[in-house]
Amino acid sequence: MTDDNQPRTDGGTATALPGDSHDDDHLPPRWSLKRWLVTTNHKDVGLLYLATAMFFLVFGGVLALLIRAQMWSPRAPGTGVLSAMAYNQAVSLHGLIMVFWFISPFATGFANYIVPLQIGAEDLAFPRLNALSYWLYLASGILVFASFFQGASYAGGWTLYAPLNIPAFMPSIGATTTVFGIVVFCASVTVGGVNFITTIHRMRAPGLTMRSLPLFTWSWLLTVWMMLLAFAALLAAVMILLSDRMLGTTYFAATTAGGSVLWTHLFWFFGHPEVYIVFFPALGAMAEIFQTFSGNRIVGRKWFIVSMVLVALQSFIVWMHHMFLTSINLEVKTLFMATTIGISLPFDLMVFALIYTLIKGRIRWDTPMLYAFGALVLFIVGGITGVFLGAVVLDYEFRGTYWVVAHFHYVMVSGVTGLIAGLFYWFPKMTGKTYDEFLGKLSFAVYFTGFNLLYFPLFLAWGTPRRVFAYRPEYVGWHRLASVGAVILGIAFLLIIYNLAKSIVAGDDAAANPWPYSTTAEWAVASPPPIENFPGKPSYASGNLEFLDDGATGAAAADGGTAATDGGHAALESGHGDDHHVDHASLWPAAIGLFTVVTAIGLSGLQVGSYPEGLEGLFYQGTSVLGVLGLLGSITAMGYENFTAHEGGLGEAWPFEGVENTKLGMWVFLASDVVLFGGFIGAAIFLRIAYGWEAWHPIPHNPIPGLVNTYLLLTSSFTVILALVAAQKRSRKGVVASLTLTFLLGLGFLANKAIEWVVLFSEGTGLDASVRASTYYLTTGLHMGHVIAGLLITAYLIWRAWNGAYTDGNDETLEYFGLYWHFVDIVWLFLFPLFYIV
Amino acid sequence: MIPDSTAASVLQSGLVPQGTRVQVFSEIYWVFLGLGTLVGAVVIGYMLYNAYKYSYQGGVDEEDRPKLGEVPTGGGKGKKLFLSLGLSAIIVISLIAWTYGTLLFVEGQTGEQGVDVEVEGYQFGWNFNYLDDGEYTGVNTTNTLRVPVDTQVNLYVTSADVFHNFGIPELRVKTDAIPGETTETWFEASSTGNYTAHCYELCGQGHSYMDAEIIVMEEEEYQDWYDSQNASANNESAASVAAAGV
Amino acid sequence: MARTKLYTGIYVALFVIATLQVGVEQIGLLESSYMLALALITVFSFVKAVVVAGYFQHLVWEPRSVTYVLVLGFVGFLALTVAASYSIL
Repeated sequence: MTDDNQPRTDGGTATALPGDSHDDDHLPPRWSLKRWLVTTNHKDVGLLYLATAMFFLVFGGVLALLIRAQMWSPRAPGTGVLSAMAYNQAVSLHGLIMVFWFISPFATGFANYIVPLQIGAEDLAFPRLNALSYWLYLASGILVFASFFQGASYAGGWTLYAPLNIPAFMPSIGATTTVFGIVVFCASVTVGGVNFITTIHRMRAPGLTMRSLPLFTWSWLLTVWMMLLAFAALLAAVMILLSDRMLGTTYFAATTAGGSVLWTHLFWFFGHPEVYIVFFPALGAMAEIFQTFSGNRIVGRKWFIVSMVLVALQSFIVWMHHMFLTSINLEVKTLFMATTIGISLPFDLMVFALIYTLIKGRIRWDTPMLYAFGALVLFIVGGITGVFLGAVVLDYEFRGTYWVVAHFHYVMVSGVTGLIAGLFYWFPKMTGKTYDEFLGKLSFAVYFTGFNLLYFPLFLAWGTPRRVFAYRPEYVGWHRLASVGAVILGIAFLLIIYNLAKSIVAGDDAAANPWPYSTTAEWAVASPPPIENFPGKPSYASGNLEFLDDGATGAAAADGGTAATDGGHAALESGHGDDHHVDHASLWPAAIGLFTVVTAIGLSGLQVGSYPEGLEGLFYQGTSVLGVLGLLGSITAMGYENFTAHEGGLGEAWPFEGVENTKLGMWVFLASDVVLFGGFIGAAIFLRIAYGWEAWHPIPHNPIPGLVNTYLLLTSSFTVILALVAAQKRSRKGVVASLTLTFLLGLGFLANKAIEWVVLFSEGTGLDASVRASTYYLTTGLHMGHVIAGLLITAYLIWRAWNGAYTDGNDETLEYFGLYWHFVDIVWLFLFPLFYIV
Repeated sequence: MIPDSTAASVLQSGLVPQGTRVQVFSEIYWVFLGLGTLVGAVVIGYMLYNAYKYSYQGGVDEEDRPKLGEVPTGGGKGKKLFLSLGLSAIIVISLIAWTYGTLLFVEGQTGEQGVDVEVEGYQFGWNFNYLDDGEYTGVNTTNTLRVPVDTQVNLYVTSADVFHNFGIPELRVKTDAIPGETTETWFEASSTGNYTAHCYELCGQGHSYMDAEIIVMEEEEYQDWYDSQNASANNESAASVAAAGV
Repeated sequence: MARTKLYTGIYVALFVIATLQVGVEQIGLLESSYMLALALITVFSFVKAVVVAGYFQHLVWEPRSVTYVLVLGFVGFLALTVAASYSIL
């Protein structure tokens, strides 16, 4: 695989063996289980993501094989390998697992490993939060796994349509656990999004401007931006669903005007960006691979980037094309038909850019290129069949049929194909080993055959309704062909896994740069890279990648920042020493993941406001309490832990120069919180319009208690400001007094709210009294949850301030907490009039 | 948003497929399939051609190739790129615009004439309530819909419990059945016979078998059936409200 | 910091606007002219929100890009709410 004429610029050979960890500062060696529990290093976390995602690929794949087994023949009632409910669970969980627990995390694995290397960062901005993302992802996956053992898992399709999704129609506790799993997954994605956005914007090497970012990094940056906003909307949707299931609100009840349509809006507002969230990383990987293996720079690279940005923006205004047959009006259908055509055009450009990159190339058909090329072919088929669905009159007939199934599998699984290209491409970098080229090529042949044998017949059998197993006999042939294809595709995956597993154990050592025309920085360091990634400070300032002496850039901290603290308490002044010590280990992310599972399992027992009777109820209640206590403890411990991470702003930081990492992270998080609240508020407004805007009156009889709460919150915002001012004056007393006042004002807010609710309950206005009551309690309840979280943090800050923190010049934590607290205040400024006055 | 006059003139131009839903679907579908196959074949063929032509074969190389550590930049061929984009945009936009006229035709047709039936999905079957001027006539059936041939049938579709979707594939009609909402659609069968309607949205345990029989009858035959149903329904309702259903 | 005075002034202004907002309801404007009252109340909320974000959260002193991040989230909310509501009108 080495080239004839390519000079090796780094002179590196495969140095560190996987088990060799003399330089892994304070990290246990790789063969120790403990390392994988405590590691916060982006490369380790990337490998954890990849391994876990592969596991879920197998899980989702087995479910797919069960589906294809059931589809071998049209089944009479009560016959076939699966019962009706087992089949419904299989199709639902196959979709959920592949979309949420396989494809996205698989891409996240590559991003974790590769993106920091490509941008010249030694790690992510918040390494512990990165580990936390992973552990929350694993926790959410465990919940989905557990759901099968709690009666039955979710059985209403991966789109979770209402009102089938509420306990009246799907009472099993396992279904609640599955939804909980999605909630936790959203949390994982949000934490990860905040981290990557901060990292990619602020931690680039000097000279690596946005324009010159490698395409994989570009695709991932846009992916995380889309994730941040889209998953916040999904989080709103699934939290409301959980509330309907656990607390008994009636958003999605069959009797709620607009309830079912509300779900489709909330779900698809997330669901369409999700398509690109899934596909973009593959597209980025394909672009890198096309360039590397054809030996040509990507044609129209600038326009490729512009196209991706356009798609990312447009992806939020096409969702109603999933709803053409609902009761939405013709005007809005027309609008969304137009935006849908609009979003296909940038893809045309990107496809042509990749094709033209081949021209006059010296194309090497190594395994990564075979997969990348195959992925593009499959994507073209998926794209063309998608244009059919853009024509509304055709969509009317294709909706709910195997045409849709075939189309989106061509698109989504072409994405998977692109990522497998990435897997072979980066395998030598990540493991330091060379994979077996013959087996790789063989796997591609089997894969491509199996793929088309599986999915193409589904176009021909498109008259079959989705998610049924009693179909018309004339389609038997096509469905059997598809089932055979599924087995072949399964074998291809086994071949891939065997090849890579065998190579990890017995493969040849890989060179630092095994590919002739690679350009990006990950190929300029050893395979696998050492813990600190680079032999010096990476810089593109001269127009080429160079590794400078550590001292050279130390003075360039124009950012004025102290060492970033990853949300922990005041930083050590570690940035000042030449020693440059950073941490790589923390147990608390894993602990938080563990207690998240415990909490969610406990709470899943709660159904429409009550736990089951007897011992079972006791188990669920006890588990809930244990989980919540564990969570509080481990979050506090993580906050208190001393942990030093790399700071940003030393190189390119556009457009966030001068905004410290943690502050930017907080702002990005708040932007996602805007969308979360936006989902709740939007849902309330939508239901109110469906109900009749002016016929709907506020639940509280009188706005005055609400006004009092507005005063209390405004005042508490003011006292947080005073705390910051006191900290700047180095007055410990002032800080403690202001924070205590904030805490008391917040308590007053909660007490006032409690009185209001108790009175309303006593009048018989419970959560399920009406959809008006449901929206009132849940939206202000979400806000109240934010207040309670804020007060817990305030209590912690008071304790820390009492012990002398924040008045030593490190008052950032107070400022960042203030950002959150003022945000909670702002939300109330909108909730108050919406739910108390108008 | 869509001026009626424009819509009308587009519809009358003769370019826009009109007729029964079966006719318009097949006309549009085959055009899309033909063009789609052609475009797909050309693009993928071109890819394969280049893939073969520019495969690495050793030899001297004069080109400026990517180097490790360079700041990423793009290659040329921008003109060609935009030419292809423009071409594909013209194909896609004109195809969709062409079908938009048919969409206006299909959407404008509901309720203009013909037989009106309210369809109510439930777990796991279909109720059909015959309407007259929007009022329930007392005639209803379960899991069997009888309609006259060559007559427009207007469906007002809703659900009694969860989200369903009512579709008769041969007659190219389909719409969501949503609790609390009514969606409207129509079809016209041009030959008598029996067809099957399915549920197209996962709705629970019995989803796979949630079918209904659609019986398309001669006009007179249908009228006889309807009159007899109507008479018995009215007799029954006069005698007792309890006996509804066939 | 000299800004304490500014913060105090803003705090007082917020207090007053909040009171005015409820005043709109108390004088019966919602009954007599619903849309006007709704518009007024919405404007008051936005004024308060912008002031808190601008000064208490220091956005006026941050690079504008930070504001755009939040605006992005807000536009997402608007797109969802407006388009979804419009679809059922």
